[in-house]
Amino acid sequence: MVVDNLMQWFESWTLWEAGSPLLFLIVVVIAGVPIFLLMAVNALVAVYAELKISAFMQDRVGPMGQGPGLHAGKWGLLQTVADALKLLLKEDIIPTLADRKLFIIAPFIIFVTPFIALAALPFNQNLLIADLNIGVFYILAVGSISVIGIIMAGWSSNNKWSLYGAMRSAAQIVSYEIPVALSIVSVIMLTGTLSMQGIISYQDGTTLGILPNWILFNNPFSFIAFFIFFISGVAEVNRTPFDIPEAESELVAGFHTEYSGMRWAFFFLSEYANMLIISGIAAVAFLGGWHSPIPGFLESPGWSLFWFISKIGMLIFIMMWFRWTFPRLRVDQLMNICWKVLLPLALLNIFGVGIWTLLTG
Amino acid sequence: MSKYLHDLWSSVSSSMIGMRITFKHFLRIRKGNVTLQYPEEKWPRPERNIGFEHKDYNVIRSKLHVDMDDCIGCYKCARACPVDCIKIETIKVPKGTDIGITSNDTKKRLLVNRFDIDMTECMYCNLCVYPCPEECIFMTGGPNSSKHPIDYEFSEYNREGLMYRFATATQEEIDRYTDTETPEKPTEKEETE
Ligand code: SF4
Ligand code: SF4
Repeated sequence: MVVDNLMQWFESWTLWEAGSPLLFLIVVVIAGVPIFLLMAVNALVAVYAELKISAFMQDRVGPMGQGPGLHAGKWGLLQTVADALKLLLKEDIIPTLADRKLFIIAPFIIFVTPFIALAALPFNQNLLIADLNIGVFYILAVGSISVIGIIMAGWSSNNKWSLYGAMRSAAQIVSYEIPVALSIVSVIMLTGTLSMQGIISYQDGTTLGILPNWILFNNPFSFIAFFIFFISGVAEVNRTPFDIPEAESELVAGFHTEYSGMRWAFFFLSEYANMLIISGIAAVAFLGGWHSPIPGFLESPGWSLFWFISKIGMLIFIMMWFRWTFPRLRVDQLMNICWKVLLPLALLNIFGVGIWTLLTG
Repeated sequence: MSKYLHDLWSSVSSSMIGMRITFKHFLRIRKGNVTLQYPEEKWPRPERNIGFEHKDYNVIRSKLHVDMDDCIGCYKCARACPVDCIKIETIKVPKGTDIGITSNDTKKRLLVNRFDIDMTECMYCNLCVYPCPEECIFMTGGPNSSKHPIDYEFSEYNREGLMYRFATATQEEIDRYTDTETPEKPTEKEETE
């Protein structure tokens, strides 16, 4: 969408011939800036929210700072800004025995993954960098690139913890991708399209009289599919309780043990951006995307953006809620859940959705 | 199979219980909060029962305080200090100049232009307190609480804050008396050694 419009706008200048690669490059760079800003702002807000939510759940107050001087503003509102500044100013340490090239590239690969995935996430009717006809497939596909980055980071750090973390992470992401994909397949069977906007427009209107026609409420199987998707999504972005790749108490910080300063900040940015993407896909595929929860009520583009962001926010809140409730799973339990619970259930769901579509036409 | 389903059910339901508990805590932060916003709020100090009456006991180890109005600059405290954390400098004032008397009616002859105690070094041994002829260096609180209320934490934002500078002589006074006489005599213990 945005890319197409920008292309047309630039082409109307007639400085470049249509479809010139240079023009395409310029448009892509322009379209990339808001994504980067989105990722940065998302990290700032989500980290602050996480600090506060974790604190509240543990009966603490989190960052406050009412003391003399500039102590992170009122209610610690500037805490994450201060953190970001600190990260920017920190020394960039590369271990002597690290594999320098891989060590330097790895954060960027991990950072690029959510970056390019965000390009296909529709924020409202028009706000979408590129409306791909294989949107969901694209996001899930590029999402797995981060495994390469994680393994690169773990391997190049030349550190046992990092390597363990990377291996665990690879095993985890590869396994949990399957239930994620299978639960999305059950959605695609209903909608008959892979395009994000197509999936969203399928969910227009109402169902059962009052409920919005979200896929979540479409049939009992897709209701379960949502939970399968969300749980495996949490596992795919390495959040607690599935955070064995970075298990603080066992592996220091897993694959990013040796990273510091800005490079570490890239891992951090992409972790929170990944949460955003998983929540975004969940919102698009199951919660009606940018549709208002009350069908036909406040559906203008501005409000659509608001609805979409609040759905994402709610899902991110649930992820944080998970994190501060559940202890970390053991490796065998993690694999158990994936292969013995989520995967059979997801297959069953596909079967169920198939029967359902056959019966209801 | 039934065990599988039972396990599934019990893990889902127990997760729900856990999440309900954390959510309850999340909502009741105003009441359940345990954090003390330290510099603004403080724990109430418990009534102490140290096994004897305060008035019968003249030693308390808290924060040193010097009542500069009474100090005659005799260096006795600085010499007594085992870790040399009291730094005093004085200026001799010309004969006949009145720079006040102490509450023990001792005439002051030395202008104390520096009286620093480095509380990061002090080990609270109280040895500086006993030799003072004017009883003007003392630990706050306890038997001295009439002279100075107790301050049991004296936390500071930076280390410089723990250099207590008690000298009250103004620059103008210092200038006035430095011109007249050869003012300096080797003051601190470490310099004499
Ligand atoms: S209490 Fe002891 S260590 Fe502290 S200043 Fe007095 S003599 Fe020195
Ligand atoms: S012993 Fe007392 S009077 Fe003498 S210098 Fe120390 S504080 Fe002042």
